Amino acid sequence: MSVKVEASHDGIPHNKVMAMGLVLALVSLYIAVAGSYAGYDYLAFFGGIAAVGALIWGNSTIKKLCSYGIGTGVPSAGMLAFGSGVIAMLFAAKLAAINPFIVPIAGLIIALIVGLILGWISNSVLNMKIPVMTRSIAELAAVGCLALMGLTVVAIGGLGFDQLTTYTIPILGLTVELYAFSYIATGIIAVSFMLGAIALQHPFNACLGPGEKQDRTNMLTIECGFLSMIVMAVISFAFIDMIAAWISLIIALIGWYWSYKKYFALSKRDAAAWLDAKPFSDAEE
Amino acid sequence: MSAIAAKPAGNAGAFQPVASVIAIILAVIFIGAAYFLGNSGILAGGAMLPVTTLVGIIVGAALIAFGVHFVPVGGAPAAMGQSPGIATGVAMLATGAGLAGLFGGAWAASLGFGVALAGGAIGGGLMMAITCLMVNISYVYGMGIPAASGKVEKDPITGDSQAEYKSQGTEGHGLPFISYVGGVIGGLFGGLGGTLIYIELLEFYNASFSAANMEGFSSLAVGLAGIFAIGMFLVIAVLSAYNITGTIEGPHDPKFKRFPRAIIAAICASGICGLVALLAVAIL
Repeated sequence: MSVKVEASHDGIPHNKVMAMGLVLALVSLYIAVAGSYAGYDYLAFFGGIAAVGALIWGNSTIKKLCSYGIGTGVPSAGMLAFGSGVIAMLFAAKLAAINPFIVPIAGLIIALIVGLILGWISNSVLNMKIPVMTRSIAELAAVGCLALMGLTVVAIGGLGFDQLTTYTIPILGLTVELYAFSYIATGIIAVSFMLGAIALQHPFNACLGPGEKQDRTNMLTIECGFLSMIVMAVISFAFIDMIAAWISLIIALIGWYWSYKKYFALSKRDAAAWLDAKPFSDAEE
Repeated sequence: MSAIAAKPAGNAGAFQPVASVIAIILAVIFIGAAYFLGNSGILAGGAMLPVTTLVGIIVGAALIAFGVHFVPVGGAPAAMGQSPGIATGVAMLATGAGLAGLFGGAWAASLGFGVALAGGAIGGGLMMAITCLMVNISYVYGMGIPAASGKVEKDPITGDSQAEYKSQGTEGHGLPFISYVGGVIGGLFGGLGGTLIYIELLEFYNASFSAANMEGFSSLAVGLAGIFAIGMFLVIAVLSAYNITGTIEGPHDPKFKRFPRAIIAAICASGICGLVALLAVAIL
């Protein structure tokens, strides 16, 4: 089963991309968690940057794993990553009762443990015989966990289990905490699950092939990350401070527009030929 | 990369005795850990509730892994009419069938255990039946190809011969009757397993939230159990997809014989995922 088909040779090695993505994700998550701990929602947009960092790492891992031909398509790797990531993330959120600052690093460690066991199962029990399998699935679980944490922070401003499970509204001068309208009970976590999973599996799935270039794939990853962040920023109007939600939305829109333009330019650069078909403007003549 | 490099090696179907025994031992260790965590009061409901919940989750996962092998998955070749099956990946199909069943079962959860399981199974089976029917309609009337299997001479159920209808240079095309039946059986098992995981988790979360005196917790328990069931379902479905490596025609395909490996993998994977899911409501 170990038929290796080389993806792009050029560019930054995987370990460097992994380190950069991991540091970006963890630092951004800690900034956001610190803001939430201090009582301000304005730093929630750092969650989106954390998600983008994690996705860049995950995209590089998917490229490494899928160069061996797992036979089930690239999307399955994204689904596996987030399926194990959501389990690790919710357990880590529970640990916020001890200290809110251990949540991101605890999520990373729990996801790595779950991912190592799943990777060992697929390599040994299922006899996949792919050298990078165990490590890649462990990395993907960690990526799923960190990206989901980032999108969660954008939506609700924090990572604690209390924040995930309660919705605070003021009624007649009193603040009432409701479970039924919370992030988990309303199922918005499933929306962020799917937004993250698609943002993780789409870029390499779209760019793979003989002409795949690392910078173009990474730019598409960034674009997908910000696109998911736009939706989470819109959702965040229901949960966090209005100004904080506007900050998230504007940053997400700017990031998406910038990365979309860059991706478009890179696609033009790598294309063999470019014909601007103008489907509507000439139709009337 | 999936379509280009999907070349299974010669020993890809071999059973791995040592790794399988280790996986079963790991699963037993996870169940033991649930017993001790329940006994020491970290998990709610005493010693036995976490254990029965985890065993229920593992049984559900094994059902899902078994069911995935029945579903006729064609992948990219099927989209071009060059191999039989539904033209998408294992993970997508199993997720569709399983989640349809899960939603069906979740609606029926208040009507009792048996009704909910039956609702889940029928939901998954119905989803696959409709998918297979519409796939065959678009194959026959849209692409103009008859249904023919490439793996068997005669359909094991109807006895119809296949070779005359098979185009040269293909592995068969369309959805033969046996593949259709396999799809429906796969949907039944997938929906049943997904619903079992959901109901076991829901009962456990209800028990632990009422132990923690949380008011109005029922919708929270539903949300938590739902997202955990979806996550676990995807993990099991993708692991089974890795076991199949690409395409499968249905229960008559030689690859179907690989299912014991997937069941062992599902038992071990759902053991660790289920234990973490139980710990998410631990009393700290």
